[in-house]
Amino acid sequence: MTTLQLKNIVKRYKTNTVLDNLSLEVAEGETLVLFGPSGAGKTVLLRLVAGVIDPDEGQILIGGDDVSDIDAEHRGIGMAFQNFALFPHMSAFDNIASPLTATGSTKDAISAGVQKVAKLLKIDHVLTHHPKALSNGQKQRTALARALAGSPPLLLLDDPLRNVDAKLRFEMRLELPRLLAAQGATVVYVTQDYKEAMALGDRIAVMSQGRIRQIGTPEDIYNAPADIEIARLFGDPTINLLDVVPKSGPDGVYVELSNVKVALPGMPASVVGKTCVIGLRPEAIAFTDAGAAGGIPVTVEAETPLNEKTVTLVLTARGREILVSRPAGTPGPVSGPARIAVDGHAAFLFDKESGALIPSAATPMTRNGEAA
Amino acid sequence: METTSTLEKILRLIALTLVVIFFMFPIFWIFLMSFQTNETILAIPPSVIFTPTLSNYAALITGKLTTAAGTLDIAFMRNLMNSIFLSVTSVAIALVLGVPAAYAFARHKFKGSEDIAFTLLSFRFAPPLLVLLPLTQYFQWLGLADTYFGLIWVYQLICLPLILWIVRGYFEDISADVEYAYRIAGHSWFATFRKIALPLAGPGIAAAGLLAFIFAWNNFVFALVLASADKQPVTVGALAFVTSSGIQYGQIASAIVLSVTPTLALALYAQRYLVEGLSLGAVKG
Amino acid sequence: MSETALFINGVDKFYGPIDHGVHAVKQLSMDVKKGEIIALLGSSGCGKTSTLRMVAGFEAVSRGTISLKGREVQTFAPVKRNVAMAFEGYSLYPPLTVRENIAFALKASKLSQGVVDEKVASIAKLLEIEDIMGRYPSSISGGQQQRASLGRALIRDADLHLLDEPMGQLEPQLRALLRGRIKHFIKERGLTAILVTHDQTEANALADRIAVMEGGVLQQFDTPQMIKERPANLFTGTFVGEPPMNVFPAGVSGSGEIVSFGLNEGVKLDYKASDFSHAVRGELMKRSKVVLGIRPYAVRRSEGGVGAKVAVNQWLGDQTHIAADFAGGTMVLVEHDRTNLAIGESVGIRLDPSSLHVFDGESGRAISHGQELA
Repeated sequence: MTTLQLKNIVKRYKTNTVLDNLSLEVAEGETLVLFGPSGAGKTVLLRLVAGVIDPDEGQILIGGDDVSDIDAEHRGIGMAFQNFALFPHMSAFDNIASPLTATGSTKDAISAGVQKVAKLLKIDHVLTHHPKALSNGQKQRTALARALAGSPPLLLLDDPLRNVDAKLRFEMRLELPRLLAAQGATVVYVTQDYKEAMALGDRIAVMSQGRIRQIGTPEDIYNAPADIEIARLFGDPTINLLDVVPKSGPDGVYVELSNVKVALPGMPASVVGKTCVIGLRPEAIAFTDAGAAGGIPVTVEAETPLNEKTVTLVLTARGREILVSRPAGTPGPVSGPARIAVDGHAAFLFDKESGALIPSAATPMTRNGEAA
Repeated sequence: METTSTLEKILRLIALTLVVIFFMFPIFWIFLMSFQTNETILAIPPSVIFTPTLSNYAALITGKLTTAAGTLDIAFMRNLMNSIFLSVTSVAIALVLGVPAAYAFARHKFKGSEDIAFTLLSFRFAPPLLVLLPLTQYFQWLGLADTYFGLIWVYQLICLPLILWIVRGYFEDISADVEYAYRIAGHSWFATFRKIALPLAGPGIAAAGLLAFIFAWNNFVFALVLASADKQPVTVGALAFVTSSGIQYGQIASAIVLSVTPTLALALYAQRYLVEGLSLGAVKG
Repeated sequence: MSETALFINGVDKFYGPIDHGVHAVKQLSMDVKKGEIIALLGSSGCGKTSTLRMVAGFEAVSRGTISLKGREVQTFAPVKRNVAMAFEGYSLYPPLTVRENIAFALKASKLSQGVVDEKVASIAKLLEIEDIMGRYPSSISGGQQQRASLGRALIRDADLHLLDEPMGQLEPQLRALLRGRIKHFIKERGLTAILVTHDQTEANALADRIAVMEGGVLQQFDTPQMIKERPANLFTGTFVGEPPMNVFPAGVSGSGEIVSFGLNEGVKLDYKASDFSHAVRGELMKRSKVVLGIRPYAVRRSEGGVGAKVAVNQWLGDQTHIAADFAGGTMVLVEHDRTNLAIGESVGIRLDPSSLHVFDGESGRAISHGQELA
């Protein structure tokens, strides 16, 4: 276990700034997820920490010590790669043993170490195989075993589940927290899958274009996304976004959706009259019995089941599309006219121009958007 | 739909046969010639039916060539040894120098690295005759003319660029992540080069070495000008068969057969190795 | 009764000589009604793509017949079958813009320029590609190419639309919306579509019926609901559904009023004999080994259930995934609310007989589905 600190890191490739004055702290034993689209700079960041490339500016501290003069092999890091990066000319055993052979351990100690981690990852039966004889899932597990074998205090996992199928990914998503907890390492985990980020991260740093846009617990980010872009990245189906102009009424701020008032409790009066975007998560919208007060009339376009949820695409009278999601097996309309009810408490309001979230007194706000 | 018609199969067979004949016939003919005397070779019309003789090979191996004008001393066996020595040493030195250089060019991009690499390659663009005259002069000043050392040095002009460029490509094809993974596991850059980069580029290094060997073996001009009789390779030595009393076709043919054999054997051996090596592939995991 | 759009009858596909080559599709028979959306679902090498290619006419049928609208077509060239196809590799024409690529599909239809423009514009709006219509395939992303390729297939007025892995590369933020739109588009026009996919989520989202294939054999051909609730065998049961079904090998014993399943480590699950029909009971008693299956969302937490410890608790925004370790293995639970369970906390898990699937221990064939209660 150790800590990791990045201070004002800048990395440029020719004229392209890949990491732009980025600062970040990872606490001892914490799993921090770096989440963002490809090209956000996540992989470059990991490589800088690993020491295989050098930053143009800034400082990296591991366990409080500046590591700029320490070569990659002496930083005490374990790393798993998206493309596995197994050594194709070595057996799975030798692959996993590579962090142990470097320390000059005895043959028996190496063998014991490999066996232990291989058992943990359920690949002890394929240790003699070369990578090309391994299935995709076994390759992925071998790569993880190699990263863990040296019991490094700092683990860097670069989208390790990217190249395995949905079933294996789910299986590993449940297995990884236990492995990491048993290891007791500090972890930086890169992914493009929001479910992985939420499931594995103690905290999530949302990156784009070389900067950290928001950092916080999964709750912070799901319940108070800093801007529209981040709101769109978390959640399946994607959040519904509709242009609105909030109005002021006797009970506070409200918006009109198809002439039906939706109250936005806790929203500041300053938003009244401003062009905004309302963000409605599909699970925050429900079908109501036709005729019920507050229901917005819609037409059901299609029903598309999604992993124990039923997702319905509906069309408002003005032709706006809305996705509604509910647990599978609960009743709902399949076609024709219907009414939906929107939970104003669960709605987000974003500034149309800047895309930034307009904080509401009613939504939990534990945001620390600026990097520490 | 996916089964090819019989006609297509026959046409394909004919086309393949033609290609094989086109490329193999000269070699086959030379092979036949090497077992004939000059008289049967020059007979008109030529015939594939003759009494085979080993006299050509005997002459080459004993070094005594009997012609109508009398007996000549030839140094074919010595030439052959020269060829082997020059080619093997040149390629070995080129590999020792070229492979690490290729790795450096592949992995460490620095200012001007591309220019340096290109300059090295450009040595292969220049016609040998262009550099031959000044080179001969320099070598005479330096006392390098007519030495094995000098010849091997000049042969680097042939071997080094070839190895550098081919091997560099192979190094570049190795995923950087694979090497990073070994570094991060706690190994020095040199261990990474030795244990990861070298084995993975092995097939490429073998291919480059083989090509360089063939080019070195086939070299004529440098050796013709820079080497005296006792240091000449077979390519130059074959000139001895053009005698005042005529061209000794039989001996030339058997000399060709003997001199082609090592490269051919090497190519066949390495081909197997190459196929094996390339299918190891799966560098991407 | 709606008319049959496609009828596949006893089709075999061999790569190489018949009866000796690789047997990619084995005795496949299925029918597709007009206006239906069918998914061919399976992992790579299961025969789904071979089937699609035989229907399209790119691959010869080794044995059996394929009929489109009642007419046998297995010997017809692809162009004679009036089938539209979206290819997995997109296969957009590189020298044409996205607009030209999509309009190209209407070339043979002899429609007026005005009608073509209108159709192209509406499909572009549907697939969110209006802003890239003038671009060339090489200059757009994989997701955009896939949408363009879908547009080219959907715009045609064909008897059958074949979509090969149509949505695998789509941007995740667009996926749910486009699924809804495309399903609506197909249904509204009464098109008949077959999609080939390895992604059970996609098959469930779009298809009226799913044909699950494995090893060249059709495993089950039914509605998503039926496949979920009554999987024909262990393969279908575990392949369809995310998170996948929990499965545990078990022994069976019974005495009088009790049916008892023995899991690993001596864990026993006792059910009342009346929880199973007479016929099922008879089937169960004939076997010593079965496999129990229960879908993660059907597992209930309750006091007095099998004792387990929470190992993982992952909140995903609108679902919570929990893994609980018990002596017999690990049970995965899905709950739709935020569940505040600490790691290591003890919970009781209950496997209601109404949601318990029992499969044969040898063949994997389903014996009981819980729904068939006595």
